[in-house]
Amino acid sequence: MAHILKNYDDELSALKDSVVKMGTMSLTALEKSVKGLVDGDRDLCYDVIDEDEFIDQQEKNIDEQGMSILLRFNPVASDLRHVLSSLNICRSLERIGDHAVTVAKRSRKILKQGPLEEIRLVDPLYLEARKIVSAALTAYSDVDETLALSVIKMDREVNSIRKALGKSLRAKISEGSGHTESLLNIIFISRSIERIGDLAVNIAEDIVFMTSAEDIRHT
Amino acid sequence: MPILDSADASSVEANETIIAIDDLSFSYDLGKTNTLRNISLTVPAGKVTAFIGPSGCGKSTLLRCLNRMNDLVDTAKVTNGKISILGQDINADDVDAIELRKHVGMVFQKYNPFPKSIYENVAYGLRVQGIKSKKILDQAVEQSLQKAALWSEVKDRLDTSALGLSGGQQQRLCIARTIAVKPQIVLMDEPCSALDPIATARIEELIAELQEEFTIVIVTHNMQQATRVSNRTAFFYLGELIEYDDTTTIFGNPNVKQTEDYVSGRFG
Repeated sequence: MAHILKNYDDELSALKDSVVKMGTMSLTALEKSVKGLVDGDRDLCYDVIDEDEFIDQQEKNIDEQGMSILLRFNPVASDLRHVLSSLNICRSLERIGDHAVTVAKRSRKILKQGPLEEIRLVDPLYLEARKIVSAALTAYSDVDETLALSVIKMDREVNSIRKALGKSLRAKISEGSGHTESLLNIIFISRSIERIGDLAVNIAEDIVFMTSAEDIRHT
Repeated sequence: MPILDSADASSVEANETIIAIDDLSFSYDLGKTNTLRNISLTVPAGKVTAFIGPSGCGKSTLLRCLNRMNDLVDTAKVTNGKISILGQDINADDVDAIELRKHVGMVFQKYNPFPKSIYENVAYGLRVQGIKSKKILDQAVEQSLQKAALWSEVKDRLDTSALGLSGGQQQRLCIARTIAVKPQIVLMDEPCSALDPIATARIEELIAELQEEFTIVIVTHNMQQATRVSNRTAFFYLGELIEYDDTTTIFGNPNVKQTEDYVSGRFG
């Protein structure tokens, strides 16, 4: 059922659109940063670093929208949870953007050192992380609690891949392959991607709160 | 009267049921149509309970049932169920409505001080009870005005007309008048709807203070007010109780969709 105040519906809808847009921006930043690394395209890495300010600006816009709704409409019940969750989710998306910048900066350093076969090892981790960020954003957009809960389970796979990758890279460093700095940078990149998976979980938890008022964080 | 003597009232612990409404139906036209239908709820002592709902939902009617104010309407009638206060059916034949109202006071939407002095307004109920001692009256007036957060503003002009006070002060005077006779329960029917935001804030603060001593039931159209002042909230619609729960649940995560739609402004 729509609100009596049409403006209220319009602003809640606009808030949701803004969060979805920010989600797309953060996901694109992740995609570009890893593509830059894998394809050896340093320009893509620079793009991610430069474009992060747009993600930051979008976070500010969403904060303004959320505050305006809180001030003007005094939301309660599911509307209040929608606003609070959206503000929390945009915080997670901003951090995903920051991790994408970290990936881009370290990719740039790796590419500067020259081609490295181990770069390809990042791909499975990236694909899994991308999958769960994308699922979290779909869950938010579709208000799909079941999908949100599945994101939390999917993150276990990200952690597992990251653990195996770390082990493999540490072994290569121990072997003394001569690319220690680049291998360390790949380890840092894999850490950032794993954190992106954790942030997708945070988003999923916010969606569960939004849909059922259940706070499943730290459980 | 068999109910509500001071010994009974003092034996009620906070959170214990002080008002029990059981399957109550009520009619304004001798039972042809029921304005309230099968209402059941319990009000805990020492708490603030809010009744909310759109106009015509029956919340004020129910409030007025609690001190039998509806007796003043010739065709009004409880058609089913009962209301018990401290375990006693208040509509029983041997319960006197005037006596009941000493224990269940009421504050109305429009402040209505008597055209008398500030002092006499507060002392009025006690004088009706037969108290003549000036010392006792002086003490009661001061205590009541202090509890109503009005003493410091009027202590130097107690003999001036109550009608010279501001709207917010007049409403606090009405609260002082109500609590002067030491009721166990104070009913408030939209007590802030005629007040500005500052006066409203003062009344809301006062409600929080008074709940330590009185059980308060408040009808309000202002849902933000209900969230601020009440511990429990009952939502009524078309004469029925739709949902009754902790205020945080009603406004945070109501169980019934109708409640959610109303509190979030989807109908009303």
